[in-house]
Amino acid sequence: METIITKFVGELRREGLRVSPGESLDAVCALAHGGLEGRCSVQALLRLTLVKSANDMEAFDRVFERFFSSYPEGMGIDPAALLEEAIVTMEGDMLGTNPEMVNENMSLAGVDAGLGPEDLQDLASIKEIDLDQLDGSEIEIRLKDYQGAMAAPRPSPRMPQNPVTMAFKVPLGQKREMIFTAEELEAMQDAVSRMMLRLKKDIRRVKNKENRGKIHVIRTIQKNYRNGMVPFLLELRRKRKQKPRLVVLCDVSFSVSHASQFMLLLLHTLHNRLMDVRSFVFNAELVEITEMLSTAPINTMLEAIDSGDIVDLDANSDYGKVLQTFKNKFLDNLRGRPAVIFLGDARNNYNKANEWVLDQLREKAGYMLWLTPEDRTLWQRGDCLIDTYGAYCDRVEVVKNIEELNLIVEDLFRNLYLEEEHRSRRSADAVEMEQDDDYRSYYSRGGQVSTPGLDAEGRSHW
Amino acid sequence: MMNEYDIKELLRDGGYIADEAIATAVFLALRMEKPILIEGPPGVGKTGLAKTLSAVLDFPLVRLQCYEGIDEGKALYDWEYGKQLLYTQMLRTQLDNQLSSAGDLRDAVERLASEESLFFSQNFLVQRPVLRSFLSEKRSVLLIDEIDRSDDEFEALLLECLSDFQVSIPELGVLEAKQKPLAILTSNGTRMISDALRRRCLYLYIDYPEAEREVQIVRARVPAICDELAHQMVGFLRKARDLNLRKPPSVSETLDWAEVLSILHVSELTPTVVANTVGVISKHQADLQKVVELAAAELG
Repeated sequence: METIITKFVGELRREGLRVSPGESLDAVCALAHGGLEGRCSVQALLRLTLVKSANDMEAFDRVFERFFSSYPEGMGIDPAALLEEAIVTMEGDMLGTNPEMVNENMSLAGVDAGLGPEDLQDLASIKEIDLDQLDGSEIEIRLKDYQGAMAAPRPSPRMPQNPVTMAFKVPLGQKREMIFTAEELEAMQDAVSRMMLRLKKDIRRVKNKENRGKIHVIRTIQKNYRNGMVPFLLELRRKRKQKPRLVVLCDVSFSVSHASQFMLLLLHTLHNRLMDVRSFVFNAELVEITEMLSTAPINTMLEAIDSGDIVDLDANSDYGKVLQTFKNKFLDNLRGRPAVIFLGDARNNYNKANEWVLDQLREKAGYMLWLTPEDRTLWQRGDCLIDTYGAYCDRVEVVKNIEELNLIVEDLFRNLYLEEEHRSRRSADAVEMEQDDDYRSYYSRGGQVSTPGLDAEGRSHW
Repeated sequence: MMNEYDIKELLRDGGYIADEAIATAVFLALRMEKPILIEGPPGVGKTGLAKTLSAVLDFPLVRLQCYEGIDEGKALYDWEYGKQLLYTQMLRTQLDNQLSSAGDLRDAVERLASEESLFFSQNFLVQRPVLRSFLSEKRSVLLIDEIDRSDDEFEALLLECLSDFQVSIPELGVLEAKQKPLAILTSNGTRMISDALRRRCLYLYIDYPEAEREVQIVRARVPAICDELAHQMVGFLRKARDLNLRKPPSVSETLDWAEVLSILHVSELTPTVVANTVGVISKHQADLQKVVELAAAELG
């Protein structure tokens, strides 16, 4: 029976499910319990023990169907029956024995002739591995052993590409695919949640420091009431927690739409989780989409953008006009020194640049970042105004794929949080330092991103 | 020995209509002594399963409601500072006697140290839900509710408890469970639970029930509703679930609605009835309109 389960688990892994040796052992255990006495359905038993996420249910059912209809290969026996039979054969040995015996593999030895004593040894030794203590390499070796003569696992069809290295696909001709497939969405969510995990540590550190302040006398006394007012537990004054604010302006014209999509998706995922984001899209005119981002599903919104319902896509992009609109409509009610991100190629179609708006925006913004999908070598050609605009920004970066975008945004967040901390510390000192930083000196020419610590896995495709 | 059909029957007696997957999960959890992690939309009976199990198996229910920022002081154990302090005060004369005979300071400190374990004994330990369920004489149902609301740290804290059924207390050492409780963890899926925790549990996904089972649930919980009306209700609600509402009506809403209809002595669903009672089944203003429209289209 173990061989059947092992092969089945191998199938599942090939389908992209993550099944640990411990879980396959559970499955064998469960079959011994349920199959022997309760006669529960084998499928239900296996699903309970092997599948650990609702998303994997469907894949499991598919594999189960396929595996147990193809298993005997010419033997002409129904495999589900085969499994039942194996269980029934075991019954004789098993009845009257302690269920714990299943773990020992003693009574099972005779059941399956194809199972050598070495295999049993393997199975037994697997139990001793503490998964949390292992690094990847060792477990991989163990898994290979466990899978026996199984072919090397193929990349799963569910994750066709490494999500972080997935490049922005340049749209083919005029036909643009604005809509994300479920896989892309999933991959993106995955990438973002990993980014969140990395960021979390920094944020927590900042927050801990934030809480370290003066003693809140009343709260401390209240909290220590049951200790006879002896202040064992201190309650500190909390500083007002403030989410960093972010304002994003995305160009959605044909030339950069592929990058904008990912930016929007990223924002959609991040919105409200970490920070307050105000998002705008523009081509020739500027529209705020913050409300839409938080209510509508991402694909609906992309469709709306794509069909030109929100901004007219047929017009040529006009950064000057957009900046003018931004100044007139939104600049006055920007609050809390937000970080401002522009995403666009700054190709202005020889319209008026209106870069003075950026100068004003500069006074309101804590940080300004310009992201462009174009290579540095192309900046001097044609109608590109990036040098003009870039002079007002703290940084100009080239982003070409999700990983670069993720790294930059992650970096930005970290800076924002650190700045928040910095600011609160400064105000605590109650010393208003004259900050006469010349922002122009911050203008970094390098396309190199200062790289935050990243796991080796994510780096490999850099 | 109980099998899964017995469990199904048992749950039915407690008013909980289980399907095969649920019964199998409970059966295995009892036999393999592994926790169950239940996921699913709100209101399908995740917590209800734990409550019913506690009632029908006659295991006391120990409930731990998770929230953001929950820690070991709230979940596992805590020290009772006040009591420790009080005892120190009261035993002062005793201590004085003990120490007065001490020759020098070093001796006094040593004597005091030898008595230290007195103050970190189980006397001064406040048992929080997890430890309480481990140390109770009778096997209990440990319900860890809405684990997705807690933080990662808390999840990590539970790993030891759930895989080995023990709690490590630095001052006391390892406390093993006297009885392995039937642990049930529920999650609404607002946050991904870590794989480490999933691996230690049986995973059960409870979805909205099939029509037939939902009718049975209604009949079992609200017997006043006639069979025909129950079918009509369930049919309508299943259509409502496909409407892409912000909060689709769940089993708990079905039961509430059945209750309301039985109080109002309704014998047949009409658009007017739905419009009057729509607040019971949908809880968002945007949803109300959609449900009323559906009623007009389906029942009118």
